[in-house]
Amino acid sequence: MNLRELTNTEAMAEALREEMIRDPSVFIIGEDLVAHGGIFGQFIGLPQAFPGRVIDTPISETAIVGAGLGAALTGMRPFVDLHFADFTTCAMDEIVNQVAKIRYMFGGQAKIPLVIWAPDGAGLSAAAHHSQSLEAWFIHTPGLKVVSPCFPYDVKGLIKASIRSDDPIIFFMHKKIFSSKGPVPAEEYLIPLGKAEIKRKGKDVTLIAYSIMVLHALEAAKELEKEGIDVEVLDLRTLWPMDWESIAESVTKTHRVLIAHEACVTCGFGAEISARIQEELFDELDAPILRVGAYRVPIPFSPPLERFVIPGKESLIKSIYKILGKEMN
Amino acid sequence: MATTVIMPKLGLTMTEGTIERWLKKEGDRVQKGEPLVEIITEKINFQYESPATGILRKILHHEGEVVPVATPIAIIAEEGEVITEMEGIIPAIQEASPSRPVFQGEKREEIPKRIFASPLAKKIAKEKGIDLSTLQGSGPKGRIIQRDVLQAIEHLKLEEVPPPSPIEIPAGKVIPLKGIRKIIAKRMTESFQNAPHFYLSLEVEMTALQDLRERLREEIEKRTGVRLTMTDLLVKISASALRDHPIMNSRFEGDQIHLMGEINIGVAIALEDGLIVPVIHQADKKSLTEISLSLRDLTQRAREGKLSLEDVEGGTFTLSNMGMLGIDKFSPIINPPQCCILGIGRTVEKPVVQGKEISVKPMAWLTLSSDHRIVDGATAAKFLNQVKRLIEDPALLLI
Repeated sequence: MNLRELTNTEAMAEALREEMIRDPSVFIIGEDLVAHGGIFGQFIGLPQAFPGRVIDTPISETAIVGAGLGAALTGMRPFVDLHFADFTTCAMDEIVNQVAKIRYMFGGQAKIPLVIWAPDGAGLSAAAHHSQSLEAWFIHTPGLKVVSPCFPYDVKGLIKASIRSDDPIIFFMHKKIFSSKGPVPAEEYLIPLGKAEIKRKGKDVTLIAYSIMVLHALEAAKELEKEGIDVEVLDLRTLWPMDWESIAESVTKTHRVLIAHEACVTCGFGAEISARIQEELFDELDAPILRVGAYRVPIPFSPPLERFVIPGKESLIKSIYKILGKEMN
Repeated sequence: MATTVIMPKLGLTMTEGTIERWLKKEGDRVQKGEPLVEIITEKINFQYESPATGILRKILHHEGEVVPVATPIAIIAEEGEVITEMEGIIPAIQEASPSRPVFQGEKREEIPKRIFASPLAKKIAKEKGIDLSTLQGSGPKGRIIQRDVLQAIEHLKLEEVPPPSPIEIPAGKVIPLKGIRKIIAKRMTESFQNAPHFYLSLEVEMTALQDLRERLREEIEKRTGVRLTMTDLLVKISASALRDHPIMNSRFEGDQIHLMGEINIGVAIALEDGLIVPVIHQADKKSLTEISLSLRDLTQRAREGKLSLEDVEGGTFTLSNMGMLGIDKFSPIINPPQCCILGIGRTVEKPVVQGKEISVKPMAWLTLSSDHRIVDGATAAKFLNQVKRLIEDPALLLI
């Protein structure tokens, strides 16, 4: 295998390029794509490489998602760039009432091979309008698949799998991981939707995470290793469909669970995972399941306040000590 | 009123007993007469019944402990009843809240102490039969967690007290030698090492004895409600033969041979987990009806673990009948310090030559194992032939 170190941005651009070459029905639609290559640079070079297949739109998420939906219904495979996950609110009717339901309401006669790409997350002092993690809304909406990977390898494989999927997909990507690097094979590969992956094996506690929290989780695990605490880090990669088998297998092994996401704890995806574990694996639990997430406040612009509100490595370590009933040094 | 349960004296010679197993847990309700604890003496496994009705409040001596006779081993009292008057004999008793005032005559409701344990700890404890109330939790807020239960299991293993064992025995499992098994192991080794055994076998015709049983069965059943068995008849026959051969009814003790004044015949009874030999005392003086009733009673109590020490003491001769187990012939080990043991095989219809004719007769093998320190072949042979005569012509019993 020919491995290269790519950033998440590069891995995603490569995935888009490959899929556009492979399938002429794939096209990209959003704001500032041709003029700027996208606001985070994911689309640089694509407008030139695929003339007419990267389309700039007016500033209307309603129109962008609506156009994507219409194109998908007619057999195209649109890739919609929403700039910020926060802007899904402007297209909620299209996403929740149309995109998510049409396959069902048409009795399965229509396919919606639509990917809505939505950069999310805080940490860049982008303030309350540009920093949210909204995945729980979409996991809560029947008909949608939700993806939120962390590493370039997973990003590339899952972008390709998402483009080829006939179901509508909300593809979240944390803005702070765009430039983080990782090995990516030059050869073609796909990562199936709905498959989690253990990023670090451990036996004392299962840390279930996704998106940027996987990076924090691995750092926390490294630190705890010095204290003789062996943390297993399970990266969900796809949030829905949820990979219950992988979760159950790990929990059955470690008997202790911490769930981490950057979204606020209240009604976050951690609540669903936690509930499911206690329903099905009650007898396997040796400690209460804990969750780590942001406070339930608008994400502040002030960097110190923002750091205070969103979770990081320290909050994970603190929670793991609590689960194990140990005092922190 | 609280009742102190003491280590019972199950026989004249008993000085101490081992607590084999508590059949109730602390906090369990027990009825008077309900089996409470299994006690082992040198000779038997005994299920001791609760002397009172109430709650088993405190177990003072735990499984595996050897306790002198009359030592308090447990306390039974009503729920909430203060048992401070017993503190003298309970060094470690801990009341949930000794300072709470108690009003006499008023029933106080005791709130059972809630045990905090993780679901996993509870599951493992249930599987392994660990009593969570005996554990100290090391988790947050003193919660009992997996680690505590695993440590307790480890601890138990060290103490060689296995958890209540599953029915199937997995390969490689080690069964610690204890209880009745330990007694059998000790006594049989002692016998086989010390008493030089020799074995005499002969085949007997069972026609007459079978006929006799048929003839007497109905009558005895009408009188006693008990079915006459071949073993009953063989007890009677052995007792009669022993009367004529007193040397066979003896014991080897120290450097002496003791001829025994009474003819007390033990009958080997297979139990689920071992073997026990209750004794029919003065069998030669008992009628067939009495023998039959007595043996039925002993068998039943043996199976229920309710034999007293007297029931198994004083045997002078032992019968072991393996006919019902399909065995043709076997050489039993002497039940020490007795002189001999008679093994009886199954009765089989087979061709027998009589005169010049071959006829089919019910036949059975007898094997007599004897202690050569006491008797020689000829003596034992005479006795065995006497048994054969009586079996083949039971009318001789009347003489």
